[in-house]
Amino acid sequence: MKIRALRYHKGDRTKLSNLRKGQKAKVVFLDAEDKALRRRLLDMGITEGVQIKIKKIAPLGDPIDIELRGYELCLRKFDMSLIEVEVIS
Amino acid sequence: MRVALIGNQNSGKTTLFNLLTGTNQKVGNWPGVTIEKKLGVIRGTDFEIVDLPGVYSLSPYSVEEEISRKFLFEEQIDLILNIVDSTSMERSLYLTTQLLELGIPMIIALNMKDIADKRGIHIDLKTLEERLDTTILSISALKKTNVFNLIQYIKMGDYRKNLYHHIYDHELEDAIESIKLLTHTKHPQFLAVKLIEEDPVFVGFHTDETKKIVDGLAKDYLRDMEQVIADERYRYIENIRDEAVTANRDQMTWTDRLDNILLHRVFAIPIFMIIMFGIYYLAAGPIGAFTAQLVGKYMSSFSDWTRSMLVDFGASPWSVSLVVDGMIAGVGAILNFLPQLAILFLLISLLETTGYMARIAFFLDRIFQKVGLSGKSLIPFIIGSGCSIPAIMSARTINDETEKRMTIMLTPFIPCSAKLPIITLFAGYFFKNNSGLVSASLYFFAIGVIFLSAFIMKKFWFKGKHSSFILELPDYKIPNIKFILFDVFEKVKAFIQQAGSIILLASIIVWFLISFSWTLQYGIDPNQSILASIGKVLGWIFYPMLGTYSWGAAVSAIQGLVAKEQIIASMAIIAGHSETTSEGMLIFGSSVFSFFTPASAYAFMVFNLFSAPCFGSIGAMNKELGSTKRMWQAVIFQTGIAWVLAVLVYQIGHLIEVIL
Repeated sequence: MKIRALRYHKGDRTKLSNLRKGQKAKVVFLDAEDKALRRRLLDMGITEGVQIKIKKIAPLGDPIDIELRGYELCLRKFDMSLIEVEVIS
Repeated sequence: MRVALIGNQNSGKTTLFNLLTGTNQKVGNWPGVTIEKKLGVIRGTDFEIVDLPGVYSLSPYSVEEEISRKFLFEEQIDLILNIVDSTSMERSLYLTTQLLELGIPMIIALNMKDIADKRGIHIDLKTLEERLDTTILSISALKKTNVFNLIQYIKMGDYRKNLYHHIYDHELEDAIESIKLLTHTKHPQFLAVKLIEEDPVFVGFHTDETKKIVDGLAKDYLRDMEQVIADERYRYIENIRDEAVTANRDQMTWTDRLDNILLHRVFAIPIFMIIMFGIYYLAAGPIGAFTAQLVGKYMSSFSDWTRSMLVDFGASPWSVSLVVDGMIAGVGAILNFLPQLAILFLLISLLETTGYMARIAFFLDRIFQKVGLSGKSLIPFIIGSGCSIPAIMSARTINDETEKRMTIMLTPFIPCSAKLPIITLFAGYFFKNNSGLVSASLYFFAIGVIFLSAFIMKKFWFKGKHSSFILELPDYKIPNIKFILFDVFEKVKAFIQQAGSIILLASIIVWFLISFSWTLQYGIDPNQSILASIGKVLGWIFYPMLGTYSWGAAVSAIQGLVAKEQIIASMAIIAGHSETTSEGMLIFGSSVFSFFTPASAYAFMVFNLFSAPCFGSIGAMNKELGSTKRMWQAVIFQTGIAWVLAVLVYQIGHLIEVIL
């Protein structure tokens, strides 16, 4: 049986992949082991303190389209689970 | 003087390049259209300009991005023309600050200002210019505004000198200064930063002293230096943003509204399937068949007219036969399909320029991931329905090596435009009332084969490992009619050129081989010809999928290696040489090909669709796979799958035919 996903509120610390559509969060820590991947995420603007909004979710639940720094970026849930955030709303 | 044009992916570089040079390079609306550098000359000058593949930073992630970095670091460049997307300033400036570190003079072309204005993003050009100490020009590559002024600026050399600004904190800046004194290169600032980042490409430049400085930094910061640099760089950009950019956020844009429908949780996939079905139904189905017949009629009257003209001139029988039964029969059989190919090219071009293609990659990624591919594989697959060669090359944008290789090997399975004549011909004749459905079924068959093959490959060939998918979703754009028509025109032209060169030559060879026996006797029974004897050697390969030994089908299928449409050209020539058993359709009314039943017709289509692609595509596979061994593996794998499937189709189909 699938456990219902927890809902995170303002101030909570969690992984970006746990947020729902429309939620906003601030990046706290980037936990990617793979150097090339981390480099790419940094280059795309996922640095500490940046605000991210969950914009669109693909019809099959993965990947997810996020909005940051005024543009939209698609990421797989797995990669998003490497991004630790603090929920804003 | 040499100018390098560089910017983020999908920022309009190629559109600007076309304007600056007056050429017509391919443009599209998805990240990664340009995968190789392109050279041109700026209009009214003798300045060379290089269009480089788009990058987000000078730390490349995929092959085509490496081309750009290498070029910027190693080649002699006098001016960088950095194109900045006004609608995503921060990410664009991240690249800009890295380019500034190269120490090459630079002009910034601020593109898509009109769209930014509409979206409530206001950019203060003066402040931006001062903060970056770089000449900035606001342009619209699409609407051609201010491009003339840009050329003037480049020509006059009248631009700011971008003296270096401090981006990082004091300790970092001090370290950079010390490293700069210890290295010898054209780009000391850039190299110093790269050494601090421990970029693997530049570790060769490390000396003991520089290593010591970098190690010292790592101890002080207690963090990964790569991350520190990225953080600092973005902080610096945020400061500039706060001064120069005011944005009215959280507006519902057109793109959002459209995405609410096209990326809808329930409707997205049905909409996608209807669109794809529509494309192939239009191109390969009834409309395609109708136009093919129409052109075919003119072609046959042209052929009759030529024959009577030549006979009137007193040409010898063999020369009349060479022209009419060889050249016109072969090339003409191909040109019949031109109108429907134009339709296909048009529809694919629309798909590429609207921005929908990136969305397909986005919402199908999940499914592709399951079989070891990436959503990005979809881009080569869609381009592949036009031609496999550019499609195979476009797989470069996939950064994961396994996913890339699998995509390259699977792309030729997608029925390309050259296979369309095969589909139209067979489906139109054997499945008259359902030709559209049967044609479309082959595309879905292809998708099924791709999934199946990917699954097999992942299981037995490539070890499964985790990979990432990072893709920018572009805004929707209304396609530019001029670009689309030009794109279609170019592809149609290429097809005609191929028909006039390779197909013509192959047709002449086929005509020769079928007109003569080994003893070079002319006017023989085609069953005694050289071609027939070659075909008879190969006939057994095709026996299980045709239910008979057919030398005609065998030699024709082999010619698919030259070009897939050559199969039809060859069949037309062979049919023209043999006696007619029933009036009407030329090819299937001839004694050589009258054995075809719906089951063997479908099987023959399946074999030709999925077996080894043409030499051009095999060459592209060889280049992109990076080894001849892998290329052979791919070709053998493809042909093997094709043979097994064709045999299965025939055996099952034949069983049904017998029962009915």
